[in-house]
Amino acid sequence: MTVHLYHWEPNANSGKPMLALAEKGVAFESHYIDLLKFDQHQPDYLKINPDGTIPAMVHGDHVLTESTPMMEYVDDAFDGPRLKPTDPKERWRMRWWMRFFDSYFAPSLSMIGWSVFVGPAVRQRPKEELEAAIARIPLESRRIAWRKAMFNEFSEAELTESRRRVHYCTGILEDHLARHEWIAGTRYSLGDINGFNLGYALPLSQPDHCNDAKTPRIMEWLRRIYERPAAKQIWSLGRTAMAQRVKFLERAAHA
Amino acid sequence: MLELYHSEPNTFFLKPLIALHEKQAPFDSRWFDAEGLEQFELGFSGDVEAHLHLEREGPLLLHDGTLISSSFFMLEYIAEALPGLPLLPESAIDLYRARASGQFLGAHLGSLVPVLGCMRYLAPKLAAMDRTRLISTLAEVGPQERRLAWQALLDGTYSPQILATARERLKFPVSRVEATLQHGDWLAGPGYSIADIDAFAMLRVIPDLAPEVLNKTATPRVCEFLARIAERPAVKAALAMSRSGKPAQHFVPGVEPSRWG
Repeated sequence: MTVHLYHWEPNANSGKPMLALAEKGVAFESHYIDLLKFDQHQPDYLKINPDGTIPAMVHGDHVLTESTPMMEYVDDAFDGPRLKPTDPKERWRMRWWMRFFDSYFAPSLSMIGWSVFVGPAVRQRPKEELEAAIARIPLESRRIAWRKAMFNEFSEAELTESRRRVHYCTGILEDHLARHEWIAGTRYSLGDINGFNLGYALPLSQPDHCNDAKTPRIMEWLRRIYERPAAKQIWSLGRTAMAQRVKFLERAAHA
Repeated sequence: MLELYHSEPNTFFLKPLIALHEKQAPFDSRWFDAEGLEQFELGFSGDVEAHLHLEREGPLLLHDGTLISSSFFMLEYIAEALPGLPLLPESAIDLYRARASGQFLGAHLGSLVPVLGCMRYLAPKLAAMDRTRLISTLAEVGPQERRLAWQALLDGTYSPQILATARERLKFPVSRVEATLQHGDWLAGPGYSIADIDAFAMLRVIPDLAPEVLNKTATPRVCEFLARIAERPAVKAALAMSRSGKPAQHFVPGVEPSRWG
């Protein structure tokens, strides 16, 4: 059964199942959904995922739309290297940190990213076109997010709090990696795949907080993941400058 | 050695109590008064996962020296680590459904239900406390996300308009559960699982907090689902651990609402 993956760039939620599939050695049929052209809200895609969010994975009769549980499905359903620890305590730690990345770290980091990248990338279009695009978004929460990005409605207080949290989270992650080689403990796992998708560009987007001097363990952790053949394979699929930021992690670049 | 630190068996605190009773696992109950902020005196601040508490307040499971936090992942841990009744779906796709349900309901019910419950039941209790002492206690609470969640109950953040919006937004996750139950009795495959325990613990208080959202006319399958689970001996045993006799009237701040609005 062919796996069909509907995704945008190898970045954030889209990149999670992409990298998990590559690590398992599972070939998939790639369907590129251009977030900035609102492909995810077009009728053809809404037939696959009526919520209009990406990524989505179709495997036989099954349609999966939540990226982190989707990664666990990839590990459960396919042969290949195990991407979850065998120890239940380490599995719990992996899941806790994935939720930390998804629900605490990512919303703040993405608010900054959307204010400086996604918003400006679409904002020059006519207001009527943007309003029509918002009207096609199925979920209220996504309509709110897109409106904020399109019309630059992020308040300075919101962005200040997001910057504070990103700084705070970066410190927590650095401390965690001082105690554990990988997110779950002793082995590379889905937790690292999740964290890499969130943080591969932190050294570029947050250079004052994430660098070799202040966060050496995060830097080493990111480089170790980027050196994996699966990561190289997936990030080579990127079509935009955003995904190209990963090359900052090449050791030769700073030798 | 298995110890569960919990408060009254409601919402987040109820979930592991049900699972442990389903497993018939011997455990030591360490009850604390969450409404009286006793959780900040437990001395677990050195553990980042327990200290940060992604659900803001909730149970902690101490198993052979490891602290397990976050109620849905605690359910998964109990299901995976302890012998007894299987509580995980068997197939990969049903496991996905259970995890997706836990994530979705955690974000939606986990943020909306505690706001409504706290304003109905906790805010009057806080108002009756010595305000100077309460503010002094809260000033020591860290991280600030947990402190601000408590302060929001005191400073008028939750206006009638915000509460009305919260009740309106409850319709979305409750209707999703109703739709899922069109396909079977349980949320993740053919059998009872942690997904059902997780949903039950949050849904069961909605008829009290927002009766227009969950009732026999609007959501008949959810009502049948709740009644079916309430009959389980493990659920009765978990609820019987209440000290007040009214566990569904005890709330503490829950998952942070989306910062995107």
